[in-house]
Amino acid sequence: IDLDTIDVSNLNRQFLFRKEHVGKSKAQVAKDSALQFNPDASIRAYHDSITSPDYDLEFFRKFDIVMNALDNRAARNHVNRMCLAADRPLIESGTAGYLGQVSVIKKGLTECYECIPKPPQKTFPGCTIRNTPSEPIHCVVWAKHLFNQLFGEEDPDQDVSPDTADPELTADAGQKALETTSAPEGNGGLKRVSTRAWVEGIQYEPQKLFNKMFRDDIKYLLSMETLWKKRRPPTPLDWDKLPNTVDGVVPKETIQDQRQWSVQECANVFSRSIRILQGQLAEREDGGMLVWDKDDDAAMDFVAAAANIRAHIFGIAPKTRFDIKSMAGNIIPAIATTNAVIAALIVMEGLKILNGDIEKCNSIYLNRQPNPRKKLLVPCALDKPNPKCYVCAPTNEVTVLLNVEKMIVKTFEEKVLKTGLGMVAPDVMLEDGKGTIIISSEEGETEENEEKFLSEFGVRNNSILKCDDFQQSYELTLIIVHKEKLEEDQEFVIVGDVSELQAKSETDTGTKAEGASNGACNQTGDIVVEEDDLMIVEDDPVETGTQKRKLEDQDDETGPPSAKKKKLSADKYASTDDDVAMVS
Amino acid sequence: MEKTKEGLDKNNKYDRQLRLWGDHGQTALETSRVCLINATATGTEILKNLILPGIGSFTVVDSCKIQGEDVGNNFFLSKDAIGQSRAKVATELLSELNNDVTGDFVEESAESLLESNDGFFQQFTVVIATNLCERTLLKLGKCLWANNIPLLVCRCYGFIGYIRLVIREHAVIESHPDSAHEDLRLDRPFPSLVKYLDSIDLSCMNKKDHCHTPWLVVLYKYLQEYKAKHQGQIPKVYKEKNELKELIKAGIQRNDDGIMEEEENFDEAVKAVNTALIPTKVPANIEQLFEDPDCENLNAESSNFWILVRSLKEFVANEGKGALPVRGTIPDMTADSERYIQLQRIYHNQADTDVAAVSRRYHDLVQSLGLAGCISEQEIKTFCKNAAFLRLVRCRSLEEEYSPQSEKIKFQVQHLDSEDPDDVVFYVLLRAVDSFYDTHSSYPGWYADQVEADVHKLKGCLTKLYHEWGVPCNIKDDYVHEMCRYGASELHTMSAFIGGAAAQEAIKVITRQFVPINNTFIYNAMKQTSVTVEL
Repeated sequence: IDLDTIDVSNLNRQFLFRKEHVGKSKAQVAKDSALQFNPDASIRAYHDSITSPDYDLEFFRKFDIVMNALDNRAARNHVNRMCLAADRPLIESGTAGYLGQVSVIKKGLTECYECIPKPPQKTFPGCTIRNTPSEPIHCVVWAKHLFNQLFGEEDPDQDVSPDTADPELTADAGQKALETTSAPEGNGGLKRVSTRAWVEGIQYEPQKLFNKMFRDDIKYLLSMETLWKKRRPPTPLDWDKLPNTVDGVVPKETIQDQRQWSVQECANVFSRSIRILQGQLAEREDGGMLVWDKDDDAAMDFVAAAANIRAHIFGIAPKTRFDIKSMAGNIIPAIATTNAVIAALIVMEGLKILNGDIEKCNSIYLNRQPNPRKKLLVPCALDKPNPKCYVCAPTNEVTVLLNVEKMIVKTFEEKVLKTGLGMVAPDVMLEDGKGTIIISSEEGETEENEEKFLSEFGVRNNSILKCDDFQQSYELTLIIVHKEKLEEDQEFVIVGDVSELQAKSETDTGTKAEGASNGACNQTGDIVVEEDDLMIVEDDPVETGTQKRKLEDQDDETGPPSAKKKKLSADKYASTDDDVAMVS
Repeated sequence: MEKTKEGLDKNNKYDRQLRLWGDHGQTALETSRVCLINATATGTEILKNLILPGIGSFTVVDSCKIQGEDVGNNFFLSKDAIGQSRAKVATELLSELNNDVTGDFVEESAESLLESNDGFFQQFTVVIATNLCERTLLKLGKCLWANNIPLLVCRCYGFIGYIRLVIREHAVIESHPDSAHEDLRLDRPFPSLVKYLDSIDLSCMNKKDHCHTPWLVVLYKYLQEYKAKHQGQIPKVYKEKNELKELIKAGIQRNDDGIMEEEENFDEAVKAVNTALIPTKVPANIEQLFEDPDCENLNAESSNFWILVRSLKEFVANEGKGALPVRGTIPDMTADSERYIQLQRIYHNQADTDVAAVSRRYHDLVQSLGLAGCISEQEIKTFCKNAAFLRLVRCRSLEEEYSPQSEKIKFQVQHLDSEDPDDVVFYVLLRAVDSFYDTHSSYPGWYADQVEADVHKLKGCLTKLYHEWGVPCNIKDDYVHEMCRYGASELHTMSAFIGGAAAQEAIKVITRQFVPINNTFIYNAMKQTSVTVEL
């Protein structure tokens, strides 16, 4: 099962895909190529997302093993839950450059994917992105947001204009700024017209766009004086007066992609890429939109140019297009050799499972180089389930800290339940004696609740919410702790183990202990994986082996004598039947 | 890479790996010529992992005809090709993987090629051998050793994987160390740095400039204060470093109410005390290179690497005043761009000056040796930048390893009698298996009805080996049984693993980046463990 299509950049490590397959379904091509190796294998390809409701419990129960080769946490959480609910063994794996890891997950026997809370993925506060960037990555994120505002799906969380609600500003500072500066063309801070409507109005004229984003909006930011008391203020740029020099030290003789552009060059690339993207957009049906793709040249050029122009304005070191591609695309290096090693390790663990020896499985970490004990591979015994895991423990409970008066139901569903707790289609009921339904997974049933605050339903400190994801067969008891304000302007905090929360509030020493002991041999950490496909082994692969075996036996007359032993003694690793397939 | 359509396509295709070894690594890969001896499952898996990332060309040497057994574990041989040349069919199917790679094949055994045309192997960048018997392997090893061509010996035997790298001398300039300290020279600043740092006065700055002064400057300033108090010594031990940290903290500006301002640059300076003041010195392994006879006694045969090392040595003794060339890069830090860029330039310029000095010495040496000297300034630059991380790998030859007098082996095999012995035990067993094959012309456990008999014979081979080494045999019977159980099988998953690991070693050798194994890697799939030993 794989939602993706084949890209040129997959070819350096995928021996099932060739140049002529670029653009086709990964699942289908993988199936066709694999069938050439063994036409008797039964393989079914689904060009689809694994989180689709079509792949329900019944579907998962059809398999003996599920193997993950995913690239994102949301899908991993989901498959983890499906396999727990269906009680099927899951082989979880990942690679990143020279590093790799393989692990086995089985309900009740091992730690599940979510037993140890993972650190939240890095996000940046909106006001840092919009008002006060200080690192190159802030500019790259801003540029991607700008892309979506101009060409993609509009997301209110991705606004690129100056933020007058910056907590650093005193209540009226933003307002004062509005009064003292004439509102820039296109209404920098005010949202009378959406960015998209405005940019369509000016027909994507690059020069006007440039002057709004990099001159007028910056001037407007400058008027918010409190922001610049202790910061270097930004320098607005004018399209007609661009510096043609490069910031920093420029190594000579490098190739285009890795050469640092001057601001003038950035502006040229900015302008050219807008024209191309505008053309791409015009080819879509009315109301169409582009999806940012790091491997689309124009989209990548746009982000690289916009990020560097903004970096220049804020006195941040510029980056090359090559580096920005890494940052913007979350690119994880991927090579054939590491993948071959990890694939082999996955199958080795799979063979143990199919032999009924799941308790002999290991987690295995592949290091970049042999460790001080000369080990390149580090096997670790599988950890036991965390009895307090909010996913796989018999009674699931989790505590969420939030402000019930400030959080609306929609944010609660999207950010807390889906992003934070990995649910796909939750139903939520308040334990108030009446069983008030706050969220229903049935379309349209609770839509009118979306904009209301949680407190409007009677959710308060110590409220208990029963959350149920029918699709994942996952039930969770959620305890709300009301907090007026959380550290670092977080909207909410999820605490898996309530005792941790108490310990924290009492001693305020943090919650390291539990996670740390577990991480003893986990040097490679939480690896994000490059490939985003899920492979499900439908038939016992041993059968494949048996097929080949028969073939071998037929031809034995021409090869080694046929008196070869069929049953093996010293049976340490496998039941006798499967042994034949494993040892030839 | 060139800016043509083809170049751009290649950039895209190889994008994910360029991030690991760069364009020059990719160029090295694309101009390499790889030879595979025997298109076994392990052999073709290795080639697959080299063809996908884009080696220049490959040649398969194999005289076998495809048998049913081959089709059962090898992705690159098809059922309908049984009876055809294994070299030919594997080459055809492997070639489909990447249009940029050319492949050809020789339908001859390595054995006969070595007899008829021993110059044949000299054309390759690296030779990979699978499934060779001991006699042929040693012959091949000798031929390649004489011609200084790297050899990778790879093998999958039951649940055991084995890789041996045989390379006479392999210099790695870009070793990509896992962690490296910055090269900032605060303990012995060079004149242009001193001049710049002295021109800055923290005491007469406004608030904004004060908190945007790079930490490097801050640390330097307070280091001078510290040194003045301590007879010019820099802080070395924990207590002394703490004293300096306190000095820096005391320098943080205060507002009108006497409350400390938040100054990130000062926090960074405090943090940097531990790492930025490690004394600048030439690392021990680089000193060792300087004392190597190849460095001391240059001649017309000397490789560029050794001439560069000698130039470096002379630089250290003269212009460098005991230190390596300045690396020329500084880390990211809280600072205004103007002063950050000034600092960056100062380090960069000093690095350029040092590179020029090394380069002058290099060219003088080349001239005095009467050589042409074909090296670009860029290469000298890369060399100087990596001067602290140079690595030299000298493997032992197969001849040395297989000599019964080998002390290394004697040492390794002494401790294999424990309950859970080192995976080196499988090396010894593989050696015994080879000696078994040499005597009986078949592998132990090959025939179903002879397993028990083979166990005894294999034990005999083991005893003989140990006798030659002059060490008492200490391997448990369980292992001998296990070895016979394998019956010389080559499992595809094993081949996939070794295919990945061996190809990565080949890429290290070809790109001359990262440090290859020295010299034997053993993978135990039963326990999912591995070990790297020098044999």
